[in-house]
Amino acid sequence: MIEFRTQGFNGYSIKYSPFFDSRIAVAASANFGLVGNGRLYVLGLNANGAAPEKWFDTQDSLFDTAWSEAHENQIVVAGGDGSIKLFDISLDSFPIASWSEHAREVFSVDWNLINKDTFLSSSWDGTVKIWRPDHQSSLLTLPIHSCTYSAQFSPHNPSVLSAVSSDSCLRLFDLRTPASASNHLTAAIPIHAPPKAMPGRAPPMGIPPSEALTHDWNKYRDTVVATAGVDRTIRTFDIRMPGQGPVAVLPGHEYAVRKISWSPHLSDVLLSASYDMTCRVWTDGSAMGVDQGMQKPDAPFLGPGKEMGRMGRHTEFVTGVDWCLFGAEGWCASCGWDERVLIWDVRAIMQPG
Amino acid sequence: MANQAGTNFKAQERLSQVSNHVSGSGKSALLEKRPDDIVVTSAVRTAITRGGKGGFKDTAGADLLVGAFKGLLERSRIDPALVEDIAVGNVLAPGGGATEFRAAALAAGFPVSSAVKSLNRQCSSGLMAVADIANAIRGGMIEVGVGAGVESMSQNYGPGAVSEFSDLLNSYPEAKNCKVPMGLLSEKMAKDRNIPRKDQDAFAASSFQKAEAATKSGLFKDEIVPLTVKWEDPKTEEVKDLLVAQDDGIRPGMTAEGLAKIRPAFAKDGSIHAGNASQVSDGAAAVLLMKRSTAERLGQTIMGKYVCSSVVGVEPLLMGVGPWKAIPVALGKAGISKDEVDVYEINEAFASQCLWCTNELGLDVTKVNPQGGAIAFGHPLGCTGARQVSTLLYGLKRRGERIGVTSMCVGTGMGMAAVWVAEY
Repeated sequence: MIEFRTQGFNGYSIKYSPFFDSRIAVAASANFGLVGNGRLYVLGLNANGAAPEKWFDTQDSLFDTAWSEAHENQIVVAGGDGSIKLFDISLDSFPIASWSEHAREVFSVDWNLINKDTFLSSSWDGTVKIWRPDHQSSLLTLPIHSCTYSAQFSPHNPSVLSAVSSDSCLRLFDLRTPASASNHLTAAIPIHAPPKAMPGRAPPMGIPPSEALTHDWNKYRDTVVATAGVDRTIRTFDIRMPGQGPVAVLPGHEYAVRKISWSPHLSDVLLSASYDMTCRVWTDGSAMGVDQGMQKPDAPFLGPGKEMGRMGRHTEFVTGVDWCLFGAEGWCASCGWDERVLIWDVRAIMQPG
Repeated sequence: MANQAGTNFKAQERLSQVSNHVSGSGKSALLEKRPDDIVVTSAVRTAITRGGKGGFKDTAGADLLVGAFKGLLERSRIDPALVEDIAVGNVLAPGGGATEFRAAALAAGFPVSSAVKSLNRQCSSGLMAVADIANAIRGGMIEVGVGAGVESMSQNYGPGAVSEFSDLLNSYPEAKNCKVPMGLLSEKMAKDRNIPRKDQDAFAASSFQKAEAATKSGLFKDEIVPLTVKWEDPKTEEVKDLLVAQDDGIRPGMTAEGLAKIRPAFAKDGSIHAGNASQVSDGAAAVLLMKRSTAERLGQTIMGKYVCSSVVGVEPLLMGVGPWKAIPVALGKAGISKDEVDVYEINEAFASQCLWCTNELGLDVTKVNPQGGAIAFGHPLGCTGARQVSTLLYGLKRRGERIGVTSMCVGTGMGMAAVWVAEY
């Protein structure tokens, strides 16, 4: 396990570079992101561990970051003051672009993997905005009407994007649909809806809605999205069946889940980071086959998914986790409020069976 | 720093966001509007009148219910055929009133397709009826329902209300305690828990004063459906039509000093009397409930949402402590602290128990029954729980507040509480 200290700054988000397996960005904030400065670290990995290649300080806290998919040196950050800044890591000190349209904290940024000239942001002001690095204002604003913790482009379709928010809802937008009254909204999936009833069994009880904090598109199955949040539970949804409830339900975290990320290598595996100070690795059970899926008499509605291991080395809330896209499958990095970045191998924490 | 105050405020907001993530709840989550929320689109009540003397003394309970139902249909303009089930809380009517209440629904304009039941959880029957309908909607059994409550204590109150206990029941001490009259056990509780008469009288006087002020400034007008009923003048024995549009139990100009002169009712050295206990009354109330998505589809005006409720058991002899035990359970389910609640409607069965619960829970007294309570305008047993909903939601709206709790103690040793959010 490789460790780096973000001294004086509490980690909020961590992202591997899509261009280099040895470069990691960390968005961090002083005073737990409550008040004060933010700092974007760009870490380089080498035989001796992790070392900062560069850092950029900002006036307000930083809550998320996303590497440009088009330019290896460019990276955007989400600011507590509602600003979004684009940095070029080959330059010093100042951002090369800055946008201030959001009325409140920007909490997520995500770069379009296909249309590599666009990225999006989501904010506590209840909107998602779509941007181009070379444009001075946003291209489009999508109203969510609820504090939006996470928004993402589909990795499979450049016009499809999703958002999860305080109102316990996963919203899907398709920019090819007419804007008309619904603002490109194509589906709003209630995350807390119970799983589909199985014949011959009592229907599952509904659970109260709770804030959704994070979500991620599966990298292989283009209709599968995982969500998680305050109710400590990870769920997967098939967006072709928005009214059917979750496909897999993965309970286990002891506090809210702050970040989830599907594996870039395996279609059924995802990682989570939680306020319970652990990172956990899960399978949603989709790679196990039908037979195994039925063998869960104690919890028949939860599906065949299960926890495969956990990493408990963080000593504070874990806020970010990301997979390395390159090399041996299983390397990942996590950050947290303990001012530590940990770089570790998921395979080392997986339990047999 | 040019804007230091703004910075502090922002830090505070961020902190509360994070703490909500960890606690899994909080006020902001409670105030969110979700399509599957259970919402109230109309809440009405009749006036509450004095048992045996007041405006409804010659009106059958079921007739009061017809009045409340008609008012509900008129104000909400809901198509009655959409109402799939009606639950009516009632304590004293023979047979639970089940037959009369079904007939009352039909007489009020509900079609035969609207089902009706009566239920009895003593003084919380009205709240139980509302919670029952909310749960039925949440569980998918029905889409639109009415929770109601009614009591004619003029007609049904008396020694016949409880049948004789069998030897078997009497052989278990705690079971036998269930039939100890309310007044006696409250007197004992007031003594045990050290609730001096002076405090009880001050609490009761303030209930009268608040209710008097509220009635004078017309604060109950929104919720009361005026009814015209037959009324026999006790002096002339002449039967005439009477329009009842106001609670008639509220004695004006009541002071703690005035109450201090009243003789104790249950024990010579006691502290409980007619002036610091709830009045015997008649009245009915009804609440229309559905999912938010249904309300929006039907174009109904949303008054507020039902969040959750709790029911607890306590010792039969200490039934008065019910709210003290039930309120924290409901707040826990809603994920909020007691200080985040703007108004508590706690039924004033007796000044002693309501005051004790308020103090023991550490509630801000100014938040409890801001328009007075059952001591001032009466406690028609089965009606009260449904009545509190209209009083609470209209009151919160008027004061520009959001979160409310209704609660009551329940005879034989129980307590109920429910959390509500007003929307306007």
